[in-house]
Amino acid sequence: METELLYALRDPAGIPSHPVIFLVLGVLTFALHIAAVQMMLGASTLTLWGAFSKDAHRRRLAQSMINVAKVMVSVAIVLGVAPLLFVQVIYDPFWYTANVLSAWWVIGFILILLVGYTLMYVFYWRNHHLADPARKLSCPGAMVASVVLLLVVGFIMHVLAQQMLQPEHWMSWYAPHGDLETRGTALHAFHPWRFLFFISLSAPVTGALLVAYQRYFRARDDVEPNYLDWVRDLAYRLINLGGVVSLVLGAVWMATLPEAVAGFAFSPWVWVAAAGLLGFVGFAHWVRGKGDSPWAYAVLGVGTVAIILVAVAREALRWAKLHGVHGYNALDYSINMDWYSTLTFFVTFGVLGVGVLAYYLTVAWRAGQTRGVYTASAVVDRMGNIAIAMLVLWIVHYFVLGFVWWAL
Amino acid sequence: MELIGLYPTWYEPTIGSGWVVGLIATIHVLFSHTSVGAAIFFAFLATIAYRRNKPELLIFIKRYGLFLLVFAYVAGSITGVGIWYSTTVASPRGISALIHSFVWKWATEWVFFVIEVVGVYMVVYLVGKVDQRTHLRITWIFALASYATMLIIIGILSFMLWPGKEAWFAEGGYLNGFYGSNTFAQLAMRSAFMFTMTAVVGGIVASRLTDLDLRREIIRKLAWLGIVSTITGTALFSWYTSTLPEHAHLVMQARLPDWFSVSLLAVLGGILVYFIASLIQPRLLTPVVASIATVSILVFGLWPEEVARESIRKPFVAGEYVYSNQVIGRDVPGMGIRSEIPVIQEHGLLKTHVFLPEELREVNGENAARVGRAIALSMCANCHSVTDTGMRPLRNYLGGHTDVARIKTYLKGALTTGNTLYMPLIPLTDDEAEALAVYMASLNDPQVPARYAAQRAAIAQADDLPASVSMKE
Repeated sequence: METELLYALRDPAGIPSHPVIFLVLGVLTFALHIAAVQMMLGASTLTLWGAFSKDAHRRRLAQSMINVAKVMVSVAIVLGVAPLLFVQVIYDPFWYTANVLSAWWVIGFILILLVGYTLMYVFYWRNHHLADPARKLSCPGAMVASVVLLLVVGFIMHVLAQQMLQPEHWMSWYAPHGDLETRGTALHAFHPWRFLFFISLSAPVTGALLVAYQRYFRARDDVEPNYLDWVRDLAYRLINLGGVVSLVLGAVWMATLPEAVAGFAFSPWVWVAAAGLLGFVGFAHWVRGKGDSPWAYAVLGVGTVAIILVAVAREALRWAKLHGVHGYNALDYSINMDWYSTLTFFVTFGVLGVGVLAYYLTVAWRAGQTRGVYTASAVVDRMGNIAIAMLVLWIVHYFVLGFVWWAL
Repeated sequence: MELIGLYPTWYEPTIGSGWVVGLIATIHVLFSHTSVGAAIFFAFLATIAYRRNKPELLIFIKRYGLFLLVFAYVAGSITGVGIWYSTTVASPRGISALIHSFVWKWATEWVFFVIEVVGVYMVVYLVGKVDQRTHLRITWIFALASYATMLIIIGILSFMLWPGKEAWFAEGGYLNGFYGSNTFAQLAMRSAFMFTMTAVVGGIVASRLTDLDLRREIIRKLAWLGIVSTITGTALFSWYTSTLPEHAHLVMQARLPDWFSVSLLAVLGGILVYFIASLIQPRLLTPVVASIATVSILVFGLWPEEVARESIRKPFVAGEYVYSNQVIGRDVPGMGIRSEIPVIQEHGLLKTHVFLPEELREVNGENAARVGRAIALSMCANCHSVTDTGMRPLRNYLGGHTDVARIKTYLKGALTTGNTLYMPLIPLTDDEAEALAVYMASLNDPQVPARYAAQRAAIAQADDLPASVSMKE
């Protein structure tokens, strides 16, 4: 499709801030979203791996992982909202077209996710004693089906991302024989190696999560050290093996890029992403050598940085295709600057959001490490009061500004 | 030549894309309103529980919270994203208009949404595991963050109907688009009815409590919540309708059936009777009764409300400038937006639509029906089915006529003038109107395109004859 046509599809209202802000936020929030997806898939797989075993450690891990998995589905959905929002802002011609061309699957995505998530809960409800190897497993098919369906929704998203990148095929998909095909029942483009690469990252990312998990529960005297040692060994095996598999799959993905962007495989973006993944594996090994130390939590942090670097490379590939091949520059979107809404977001995100979540997570963290009832310290209490004050202030500002503006 | 940035069309033949959006949106409204109302109700109950030393109330908070985790937060968050997805495929330029004006507001809502989701897990799972004051703080934060999500989305929903202030068209700006009389009226009305939904859905959980005293106490509290919110919401509904623009009232009079307002009052009356009955006789409330009430409020309360909200903003789908068929039908100088109608009037839809195959950009005898189908799918199918099923089938508007000339005259009178109240102005060149007429006639008689092609060929042959004869001579 010609560049002129792509530009014609842009929204005439423009955007309320510089496009680079949306680009950066899109990459960062996508990285967090995909990390949550990978933890969800990893935790679900470990649930199955443990549930089908009679081994006490594996069953105990399965009990923990089903809890992690169901929370991670929530987290993945919540975090997924942000990149879904930002992609529509600067890549609207591509995102909307890709969606409409497979509309049936886009609607299917909602239903499949709903069923997949519900089945996970069904398995959870039917197996409250999962940790006990003597108890018979109930409804294991629900969990297997849940994992399969979650992979299907991941695949649908992958297809939409691929279709975005191929404007040259849009008309042939939409009007294959000169007549409009408007049912949207087909999935037109996919790249198996790219999909497998992102799925395979579930192993090292979940490994990083397990490193933090085993460290966290060492503070509790009701959790056996034997079990935690076993989890630690499993975590590093996942990081090692998963890291290698991911790098291989990533290399195959790069080797099979379309001819128009084949040179991207040798770009610095790819090397930086690969170095990030290797650095993450190396860092994990360094931390392992330090024994039981708080550095274990840093493995999760470094893993997140590695995923961000992968997300940056993914964005660079999109840029190479859409700008390099099709002439679409996401950064020349016309701007209708709106300072108020821009500042409102950054203050809400950076001050209120960070403050409130810091309080919530502090309480959750300490309560989890306390046997019996956790009593908050004066500092934590103050954090809570500040969090409430900020929320009240935000709501008051909404009404005061609104009434004044309305009355003017 | 300037192009019109129309996307491909998704046509759902069974029920219509509009109904797909409507179904998902209605379910989401039930989930989201219930959860916001419940969050505030939890804060109220937790305050009573800790101040009056009634820890048994926390049992209900935990049970209702767990129920909402699946019922509202799982399904609610998925259907929330689902509204974006369904509107993306059904009305891409409609959702794009909202996204591009309110991206930061949606991003701000997302911050509160993250707090809300973390909060519901903490409220539920930390009952009895943290000290009372901490749990109370957690619950109030959850309530405030939940309500903040509602504050934001109401402004966007209100803009979708009509921008907050008329000044937005001339000056643009987020505040002009977001705040207006309809914003606050809609917020007040929805705030009241969200408690009604909380009370109805809460009955499912309360009726399952085994402690009879607690069960009675909670059911009565829910009943009072329901009675007060239903009466308040009904009163606020009048305020809400008084803030609607004049054309919305005209569309309501013309499009909504006479029994609509009567049935709406009947539904509200029924809800009131339900709450009064459960207040007087709490034991009458069983999980089955509460579930039936929940489904009833979805089918007889929310669905008609969503359908009415959809109808009264016609012919527009967003901000009174994006038509339901995705064409921009009005200048918005404050945002640098120009109506696309003059471009289509000058060059025709076929020449300016981005997504049309080249062979359909010129009308001839052979392709007239195919071109007409493309025009119908692009300009009509969002609101009118091109098959027998789905919303307002096109063929029903022709009274069985198959005369192409007559249909063409009708189309030019009804569409190109913009005189039909709830219909967009749809410019059509003479060729385009004829192609659309051929296609519409074919919906009642599939032989029309072949006959039309033969007629056109015969006319062309007759036109060519003198020339070919003279050449031979």
